[in-house]
Amino acid sequence: LPPAMEPIPAKPLFYDLALNFVELPDLTEKLEGGQKKEKGAGISGFVKGLWGWGKK
Amino acid sequence: MSEKAERDKKAIATFYAELNRFGQNGEYERAIKTANKILNLAQHEFLAFHYKVVCLIELSKFDEAIRLLNGNAQFDGELIFEKAYCFYRANKHEDALKTIDQLPELDLRSKELKAQIFYRLEKYDEAAALYREIIKNTDDDYEDERHTNLGAVMVHLDDEDTKDRIE
Repeated sequence: LPPAMEPIPAKPLFYDLALNFVELPDLTEKLEGGQKKEKGAGISGFVKGLWGWGKK
Repeated sequence: MSEKAERDKKAIATFYAELNRFGQNGEYERAIKTANKILNLAQHEFLAFHYKVVCLIELSKFDEAIRLLNGNAQFDGELIFEKAYCFYRANKHEDALKTIDQLPELDLRSKELKAQIFYRLEKYDEAAALYREIIKNTDDDYEDERHTNLGAVMVHLDDEDTKDRIE
């Protein structure tokens, strides 16, 4: 015969809500269109193309 | 600006575009590699550093994130919430509490985390008080879960009276 069933305390449910607030930062300022602080073209035209700029 | 500096700047811009794409797609391993490329060229790029920390958290690499945060004096005092969260998930609850208390003022997410830390530290009175405050001052999609957490805290408060603790 199996032993009689006994009630045991249940471990209460507890959510990790803080994880929802760990978020990747917004990179807009580093992406094209967000570069407000760009000063003059300088010699940038000279090195353009070296890194496949514009190619995707 | 020297040619190398100009070249690095271009490379960094390209890497940030890549980083953004990987992050949006949830490709955290690849995002970390890209963040490293940025930091190798420019160690002061805080956004890349921040990105890397969050990716490590998403990958549940909490010890590694803590090592990274502790090893960068230049960003000391930044990412306090993230650091406290890593300690919390690494079961270093005392360190988590000490870290979150470095914040001069707790925003909502920091209170949320602190309530969870109190719960793990079995400081149920403090946890309950904090949850009541958070619930009163928020209106988001997590109200039900928050009430569940408060319920879990209350269970322990009742237990303390009867000394019949749940392990």
